[in-house]
Amino acid sequence: MYELLGEAVANIVQLKYLVPLFLGTLAGVIGGALPGVTITMTIIVVLPFTFGLDPLQGLAAMTGVYVGGSAGGLVTAVLLGIPGTPSAIATTFDGHPMAKKGEPGRALWLGIWASFFGGLLGAIFLIGATGPLASIALEFGPWEFFSLFVLALSMVAGLVEASLLKGLIAGALGLIVTVLGADPVMGQERLTLGIPFIKGGIDFLPVLIGVFAFAQVMGEIERPGSEVAKSLGYAKSLAVSHAKVVWEILSRPFQLLWVAFIGLLIGVLPAIGGSAASMMAYDQAKKFSRRPERFGSGIPEGIIASEASNNANVGGSLVTIMAFGIPGDAVTAVMLGALTIHGIQSGPLFISQHPKIAYGIFAAYLLAHPLMVLILAVGARWMLRIVSVPKAALFPIVLVLCVVGAYALNNTMGNVYVLLAFGVLGYLMVKFGFPLAPFILGVILGDQIEINLVRSIMTDANLWLFVTRPISGLLLAASVVSLVAAMWQHRRTQKKIDAAVEADF
Amino acid sequence: MKKLIAGLVAAVLPLAATAAYPDRPVKLIVPWAAGGDTDNIFRPFAPLLQKHLGGTVVIANIGGASGTKGAKEAKDSPADGYTLYAVHDYIHSTYWTGVADVNYTDFEPICMLSSTASVLTASPKTPWHSLKDLIADAKKRPGQITVGATLGSTSHFFPALIEKTAGVKFKYVSYEGLAPRMNAILGGHVDLTDSNLTQKGKVEAGQLKFLGIATEKRNPEMKDVPTLKEQGINVVYDVNRGLMAPKGTPAAILGKLESSCQAAAKEPEFAKAMKLQGTDVRYMERKQYVSWLKKNDRLNQDLAKDLGLLKR
Repeated sequence: MYELLGEAVANIVQLKYLVPLFLGTLAGVIGGALPGVTITMTIIVVLPFTFGLDPLQGLAAMTGVYVGGSAGGLVTAVLLGIPGTPSAIATTFDGHPMAKKGEPGRALWLGIWASFFGGLLGAIFLIGATGPLASIALEFGPWEFFSLFVLALSMVAGLVEASLLKGLIAGALGLIVTVLGADPVMGQERLTLGIPFIKGGIDFLPVLIGVFAFAQVMGEIERPGSEVAKSLGYAKSLAVSHAKVVWEILSRPFQLLWVAFIGLLIGVLPAIGGSAASMMAYDQAKKFSRRPERFGSGIPEGIIASEASNNANVGGSLVTIMAFGIPGDAVTAVMLGALTIHGIQSGPLFISQHPKIAYGIFAAYLLAHPLMVLILAVGARWMLRIVSVPKAALFPIVLVLCVVGAYALNNTMGNVYVLLAFGVLGYLMVKFGFPLAPFILGVILGDQIEINLVRSIMTDANLWLFVTRPISGLLLAASVVSLVAAMWQHRRTQKKIDAAVEADF
Repeated sequence: MKKLIAGLVAAVLPLAATAAYPDRPVKLIVPWAAGGDTDNIFRPFAPLLQKHLGGTVVIANIGGASGTKGAKEAKDSPADGYTLYAVHDYIHSTYWTGVADVNYTDFEPICMLSSTASVLTASPKTPWHSLKDLIADAKKRPGQITVGATLGSTSHFFPALIEKTAGVKFKYVSYEGLAPRMNAILGGHVDLTDSNLTQKGKVEAGQLKFLGIATEKRNPEMKDVPTLKEQGINVVYDVNRGLMAPKGTPAAILGKLESSCQAAAKEPEFAKAMKLQGTDVRYMERKQYVSWLKKNDRLNQDLAKDLGLLKR
C-alpha cells in the first residue's frame, strides 16, 4: 500500500498532474473565499475544463478545488466576518473577533494551519480506511445498500433548517425527479406525459448544476449592494510567527484529533456537508473546553475546531465515494459524474481495478494541503481584492460556465434545458423557503433506493431480510434514531431559534 | 411549393453535411454503464475511429432499462451522422421479450466489430466446482439459485439457454451491465452470472469461478476452462457488437463511417485491445452486417419463443 502511495505521490508531482492540481486548488481557494460562491459551484465551473484531460488530471483538479475551497472560506470568514462558504460559518464566530482585536494574522494562520493539520488527519484516514471499507462494501447486498440509502435520506430531516414539512416536501420532490422516465428494470415509462425527452429520464448532474449554481447565483444577484467592499483598516499586517501558531494548534492534540474525527465522521456519512461538520465540531470543542464562556470572543480553539473539522470532512467524503461509490455531498456527486465521464465506475471494486487513479486521488489530496498553504501564504492579501470583484462581472461568467458544463456532460442540448428548468425550480424553492439539500439528496439517491429495493425482492421475496440481516437492520435502526434525533433537535431549535446549520451543498 | 422547398432542402442538406463531415464532435452512445464490457470494447475503438474519421468521437454512457434507454436516445437523435450507437445482440432480445419497442430496423447498420464468447461464471461463495455440481444442485432446489442478469438481454438469454438445455430452473435478479454484476457476484449476492474472459484475472485470484465457456472448442487463452459442450450442455453463445446510426442518416455519411470503421477495426491496436477483452475481432462490412442482423433477429425470435420469453 505504501509503495503504491509512494509511486502515486511521485507520479502526481509530475508537471502534468501538478499543474491541474495547483490550478484546482487555486480555483478552490478563490471560489471558497468568494461569498455566495460555494465549493459545489466552483467544482461545477471547473468540471467542463477537466473533460479534455486524462482522468487523473481531472480528478486531481477537482480534489484541489475541494481542499482549497474548504480552506478558502476562512479568509473572508476571518477578515470580513462573512463566511466565504457555508462550511466556514463557525470560523466567523471566533476568527473575526480575533481579527478585530488586532490579531488578523494570528486568526488567519490559525485557520490555515488548522485546515492543514485537519486535512492531513483526514488523509491518514482516507488512505488507511478506504481499502478495508471497500471490502466491507463488497459484502453489502442490495438489502444493505437499500438501508444505507434510507439512512442517508433520513438525514434529510437533520438538514432542514426552518420547516420540517418544507424539508420533507423538498426531499420528496427530489425522489419524484428520479421516477421520471423509464423504470430501471423493465423500461416501463413513468410520468413522461408523452414527451419524448422525459422518456430517457433525467440525469442528476444538470439538475444539480441548475439547483445549486444557477438558482443560487440568481438569488445572489438579487441581493442589493456589495457587502464585501468594507474597509479593512485593521488587516494591515498579516505577518505572524508560524512556529507559534503551529504550536498553538499542536499543543491541543486531543482537541485537534477530536474535531478532525467529527469532521471525518460527518464526511463519511452520506448527505451531510462540511457546514454541519464545522458547526458540530465547534459545539463539541465548546463542550469539552475548560473555558466555554470565552467561545465567541476570539479564542484559538474556536477557529481550530471549525477549520480542522471542515478539511477532515473532505477526507471522509472521499472515502465514501471511493469505497461505496456513493457521493457524500454535492461536491463528490460532481466528482462521481466526472469519473463516469472518464469511463470509470466508482464502487467497491474501484481501488482494486483502478489502483493508479485511486492512489492518485490520495496523493492529490495529500499534496493539495501544502499547495493550499502556499497559495494562501502568497495570496491571502490579494484574495481580499478578488473578493471585492463586482458581482456583475463574476456571476455572468459563472452562469455561462454552468451552461457549458451541462452541455458538455453528454453533448446534448437536453441537459441545458434540464439545467434551466431546475434552475427556475431551485430559485422558486429558495424564494419560498424550501431547503435545497434534501431535494438534491432525493435526486442523487432515488434511483439507487429503487433499484436496490427491486433487487432485494427479486433475490428473496422475504421482506423481513431488511431487518434480520444484521448490517441492514443496524442501518435501518440508525435511520430511525437519526429521524427521532432530528425531530428532537428541531423542537429544541424552534424554541431558541439561533444560527442554524446551513447545509452547504 | 412547400413540398418542393422541403424536397430541395432534403436533397441539398446531405451534400452540405457531407462536405465537411465531421465538423463537430461525433457522439457514440454506449447504452450501458462505464466500465462494463460494451464500454470496454468501444473505449479503445473510439480513438481509432476518430483517427480515421478525422473528427472527435466522444463516448456517452446512457445506461438503464436493459440498455434500451440509450437505444431510444440514439433512435430519437438527428440522423446526421453525429450520433452513433454501440449495439449488440440485446437489440433483438429486448425487442422480442417486449422490454422495448426499439428494433434493429430503427437504425442504419454501419459495421460489425467483435464477438465475445459467454462464460458461465459462479460466485466464490458457491459450493460448485463444475457445471455438473451446479446442475445437480439446481435440480434439488428449483428456482432458488440466483442469476444476476440484464433482463431480456443477452445475459438473460445465455443462462436461460443453459436452464432449458439442462432442464433446471433459476431465479433472475436485475443487475444491469457487467460492472454491477461483478460487484454482486464477488460479494456473493447472486450465485451465477454471464461474463467473459475479461474476468480471467479474478478467476486466477480465486475471486470467481468459471464453470464453462460457451464455445465449440476451448479458448487458447484459458485452456483449463472447459466448454459447456464437453460437459454435456450443448450451448454455444456469443455476444456480437457493432456500430449503427439513426435511420435516415445520409448514405454518403454512412459510407464515410463504414470505411473509417473498417480501417479502425483493422488496426493492430484494436486487435490487441480486443484480446485483453477476451474478444475476437469480427469485422463485417455494412451489407454483410445487414443480412447477418436479419438472420440473427429471426434466431432471437425463435430463442425467445423457445425460452417462453416471447412477448410479441
